[in-house]
Amino acid sequence: MSTQPNTPQNETAKPTFEQALAQLEGIVEKIESGQVPLEQAIEMYAQGTRLVQQCRTILDAAEKKIQLLSKNADGSLTVAGELEDETQV
Amino acid sequence: MADRKSTQPGFDFSKAKGPRATPVVGGDEAAAQAPPPWPVSLLVRHIKESLSECFPAAISVVGEISNFKRHSSGHLYFRLKDANAAIDAVMFRTAAARLKFEPADGLEVVAQGRIDVYDQRGQLQICIDRLSPKGAGELELAFQQLRAKLQAEGLFDAAAKKPLPMYPRAIGLITSPTGAAVRDIARTLARRWPAADVYLLPVMVQGAEAAGQVAAAVALLDAGAGRLNIDTLIVARGGGSLEDLWAFNEEIVARAIFAARTPIVCGVGHEVDVTIADLVADVRAATPTAAAELAVPDADAVRRGVATLAGRMTRRVGETVRSARAELTGLLRSSVFRDPGAAVRTHTRRVDELSHCLASGLAAQVAQARRAMEAPAAALAGLHPVRLVDRARAAVDALQASLRWNLGARAKRGGESLLRLEGRLTAALPRHRLALARQRVEAAARQLEAMSYRSVLARGFSVTRDSRGQIVRSAAAVAAGEILSTQVSDGAIASRVMGGGEGGPPPPAAAPARRSKKHSPDSGPGLFDDKPSQPRQDEP
Repeated sequence: MSTQPNTPQNETAKPTFEQALAQLEGIVEKIESGQVPLEQAIEMYAQGTRLVQQCRTILDAAEKKIQLLSKNADGSLTVAGELEDETQV
Repeated sequence: MADRKSTQPGFDFSKAKGPRATPVVGGDEAAAQAPPPWPVSLLVRHIKESLSECFPAAISVVGEISNFKRHSSGHLYFRLKDANAAIDAVMFRTAAARLKFEPADGLEVVAQGRIDVYDQRGQLQICIDRLSPKGAGELELAFQQLRAKLQAEGLFDAAAKKPLPMYPRAIGLITSPTGAAVRDIARTLARRWPAADVYLLPVMVQGAEAAGQVAAAVALLDAGAGRLNIDTLIVARGGGSLEDLWAFNEEIVARAIFAARTPIVCGVGHEVDVTIADLVADVRAATPTAAAELAVPDADAVRRGVATLAGRMTRRVGETVRSARAELTGLLRSSVFRDPGAAVRTHTRRVDELSHCLASGLAAQVAQARRAMEAPAAALAGLHPVRLVDRARAAVDALQASLRWNLGARAKRGGESLLRLEGRLTAALPRHRLALARQRVEAAARQLEAMSYRSVLARGFSVTRDSRGQIVRSAAAVAAGEILSTQVSDGAIASRVMGGGEGGPPPPAAAPARRSKKHSPDSGPGLFDDKPSQPRQDEP
């Protein structure tokens, strides 16, 4: 993700990894139950494939720098920057 | 004070003995020589000053605490005792605040302080500056005490521990921004679960301020976790001495960790180190690295799990599709598709059967209804007017027949009697009388015939009819050119009118027409045709 470090309030629309995985598991369970009619099974397969892709995208996310927080006067937190590269720590 | 001290220097036991000797010695003389009595405050002060000279500024005393009381002012009051003696002790607020452990009755302690006298009561006491447990270290004791206390309160209960999220979205890190701990954690998180964002709230992890900072940071990150999607907190510090790690044994940190709603992993020190923070945390890790490992899953393992799920899904859907295809093939081979009309025929047949049943059912019903109707219909028919008429007519016929029979029989009888009368008459009358009678009968017959219009015709009269068959009675009734038919005795003569007749204007066409119907040839002269002639022809 390439969001600015000063706006941490992002990612609300996308499902979390946990949600995506839970949905995927639900789909696999339903499909394996054999109760699903063919047409629905194929629809679910398409949805499952999308979920697999979402999971993989999250899993393959690039390594992130640690973001440094600082406390504001009102007690809230702001991202003040990134922690220096670990070799320099 | 100074001058006082100069006039009455120090606590002098020889002088002190003086007043005590007085009652023993007695006598007016001695009393007169004795110094004036000591005011109490002077005496107490004298004692106080003598004691401070006697004891150095700070002494160290070992004993057991009893009668321990913590005053609301923050001062501690208790008594130090051993088997044979006891002394009151006081520890003022500023000194008490530095205590790591909690003094309690029965605790063997080493107290450092100075001997003092409490003026108001003249009580001997020791004012303690520093207090430490005897034997064990102060920190060890403090740790044990806090652990026991928090354990009793349930802060370590397994039931109170919150589960960590399986796949954290963002992690809040509370540690020093410098040092091995933050580096180890960063590396571990990046290796195992790069999907998570990591936020560091830097704190001091050592020193007097450390506990307060760590506690505040826990509360702060917990409160702001939602906005940053933080679902896991890590509290960490690298290894060190007990004193170094002490901040994580402070009650304020323990309470902050316990109060947090976000699950917390705590990794402080090395494997052997256990801190109160470790015990309170939802998950206790031996080291900072272990804390990071416990906080996040291994992406590789998760990736394999996702692949397994995807494989299971693909396999099962593939099976479903294959079996559906096989089913379809089977269906296509089935009779329905080889002979698509069969089903239709079957249904047609069924419809036919049903409609037949319906028809025959209807017919049966109609027949039944008809049968049911027959008797009443017959009864009704008997009452039909035609039948009644028929019956009446039959009755009339029967009556007529019997009447005729009766009449016939009577006529026969009458005829027979007539013949007999005729015979008698013939026998009685002469012939000429019979011939005379016959002439009279013939004359009557001729006369009768003359009345017929045929005999009129025979006498030379004729009957003339117009083209419409109407008898011409007036000259005005014919028009010139009209064809007339004139009947004479032996036939009819057709003639054309040559000239118009005299007289009035011809009557309206309707009047003769109306009249013509009443006097049609059949009803008019026809009546004369037969009747007058026939008796004449039949009679001879």
